[in-house]
Amino acid sequence: MVAHSRQSRRDVLKLTALGAAGTLLGSAATQAAPKSLTMMHESSFVPPYDAFFKNQLASAYEKATGIKVNYEVVSVGSLQTRVTTAAENGSGPDKFVDVSDIAVEIGKESGGWYESAQESVVVNGKWKAIPFGNIGQLMNWRTDWFKEAGYDKFPDTWDELLEAGIKLKKAGHPFGFELGHGFGDNHGWLYPLLWSYGGREVEADGKTIVIDSDETARAIDFCRKFFKETMFEDVLGWTDVNNNKAFLSEQISCTNNAESILWSAKRDFPDMAKVIDQSENPKGPKGRFHMLNPLCHAVFTHTQDQKAAKDFLRWLMAPPQAGAWYDIAVTYYQPFLHAYDDAPMWKVEPRNLPYRDALKTAHLPGWPAPLSRAQSETIAKFVVIDMFAKACAGKSTKEVIADAQGQLKQIYRAT
Amino acid sequence: MTAVLAASAERRRPAFSFGRWLEREGVFGWLMVAPPVVFLVALVGYPFFYGIWISLQDRPVAKPGVFVGLDNFINDWHDPVFWQVVANTFVYTIAATLLKMVGGLGLALVMNQDFRFKNLTRALLLLPFIVPTVLSTIAWQWILDPAFSVINWALMATGLANPGPSWLGNPYLAMFSLIMVNTWRGLPFYAITLLAGLQTISPELYEAATIDGAGRWGRFRYVTLPLLKPIIFIVTMFSVIFTFSDFQLIYVLTRGGPANATHVFATYAFDIAMGAGQFGQGASIALSMVPPLALIILAMAIYMRPAKS
Repeated sequence: MVAHSRQSRRDVLKLTALGAAGTLLGSAATQAAPKSLTMMHESSFVPPYDAFFKNQLASAYEKATGIKVNYEVVSVGSLQTRVTTAAENGSGPDKFVDVSDIAVEIGKESGGWYESAQESVVVNGKWKAIPFGNIGQLMNWRTDWFKEAGYDKFPDTWDELLEAGIKLKKAGHPFGFELGHGFGDNHGWLYPLLWSYGGREVEADGKTIVIDSDETARAIDFCRKFFKETMFEDVLGWTDVNNNKAFLSEQISCTNNAESILWSAKRDFPDMAKVIDQSENPKGPKGRFHMLNPLCHAVFTHTQDQKAAKDFLRWLMAPPQAGAWYDIAVTYYQPFLHAYDDAPMWKVEPRNLPYRDALKTAHLPGWPAPLSRAQSETIAKFVVIDMFAKACAGKSTKEVIADAQGQLKQIYRAT
Repeated sequence: MTAVLAASAERRRPAFSFGRWLEREGVFGWLMVAPPVVFLVALVGYPFFYGIWISLQDRPVAKPGVFVGLDNFINDWHDPVFWQVVANTFVYTIAATLLKMVGGLGLALVMNQDFRFKNLTRALLLLPFIVPTVLSTIAWQWILDPAFSVINWALMATGLANPGPSWLGNPYLAMFSLIMVNTWRGLPFYAITLLAGLQTISPELYEAATIDGAGRWGRFRYVTLPLLKPIIFIVTMFSVIFTFSDFQLIYVLTRGGPANATHVFATYAFDIAMGAGQFGQGASIALSMVPPLALIILAMAIYMRPAKS
């Protein structure tokens, strides 16, 4: 379960269709003095990360500028409601302030942005947020059980993974990939699976629905087989906590998740942690793909002192601050800035390195179409997830594609 | 002395007295009714009509709405998930309400007997109703969890099933599980209310019925049931409304999955409004609850109407 920003990314996506994914909402320095800013942030999976902001960063900023920064933690899953409410209480034509100027500066200062950073937040040429880090979704697997089945390294293609899964299920170690209505671990592998077979929902024009294709059909057929031969029925009803629980209770040998499984295992099950590894998603006929889960910081348009909020963001993203904050979470948030490609934190746990490499092939749901309201609705309605889930539950490929096509046409108001 | 003073004060009082005016029945009555009316208008009436207004707009989050007439409702009409949601809501409401009605009545009849620890049992009975739904639902999440389910553990330990059923993964079982949890939570409300009703029935009526030769069933059928009918109606009406618009339980357990098999009006409306950020569409889904709910309640009112002799 990674919840956090995966959630936040999608929330903001959904809410705004801007693609500004993430949390920080600099708000209101209302009175003349003393000034204060509020940072709304989803509570982190890594507790020291939140503590570091409150205890170190906020007080350092107050000391330097006299501006108090309140850190408001929103529980996982409820950020969306809070952001919607906050945005509704504000006003203005856009929800987030254009922060292109500081984004360019930050990029120059820290080795340049990854391309996926722009995909996350740039709308009509404007940066609507500052991407902080990606919470990647990768393959989490048990090296000991894979070894018993004859695999020293993680299978490179989906077909090879299927083969391994069949053997492992027979050996009593099935796979468990979420196919239910969670908010992250289902998207984490189903979108990449669709893309790696060449399937897409919409063309890059954001209008032409192309879900009804041979590529989609092949992805669905694979998924059905993968589900039937390597998993068990429960996964259809899983939400994001289930695969973590199942993995840590040794019910499954492989799943798609963020770094949280290895994190928890190291803390609570050190022996198991030794036999866990993380790898990039397998390749399909059309390549290898990953899910983009950016955690970003944006400034609400209703923020009264927008300059103060932007100044704060600029300060926060400078290497002394951002670097220290990244370090605390030890790669849980993978930086979008190349200056951190070889940061010491990557050496702390080399098994996390694939998360850095996955950034190059990571995309948001709805890719390659530009961000839009329709995409948000597609996610909220679980169109792609349910297309796969219904096929796994027994419906024909033709039927599930027709359902998804009907929904997408309605959502995109296409004919 | 006092009397004299009072009398003179009365004489000096002007023709109009605010205090007296307030005490007039017509004024005082309205005054007493005003706070609840203001409360209802502000917290129920206003959101309701605002909801109707929003449902007629294309209204994304934090942006001004554009009036689109019935477009949102037309979209719902063409949305296959919407119809699945309609079917799910009816199955959920009808099954859970029937179970609660029968179970609650049975429980009330049992609780109406004399036995040791009667009061304690009655108090304990209310527990599922008292515990916050989200908390008790999280407990249910564990009970129904594939890996840690105590039910599956028992089934496997006794050799009845291996592996145990997938309570939330199978679309039918997921709906079944939700109905069960809803019944568990709602049963005390039925039981306690019906118990209160049972206690108002005069024992003389039972005595008379017994003298007339009525057995246990006869007494229940011709004394208890007719006298309980108005209470059953009220409780059922409340229950239908609550069940029809249930949110917490489903959102915590399945979030409408697997593949929308347990999505109901409230969860779907929430996903569209707060998730997709489309208030107009979300409001139209939520408002679609009103006509069927009104029809159900009307039908019930007609059915439960006391027969005129």
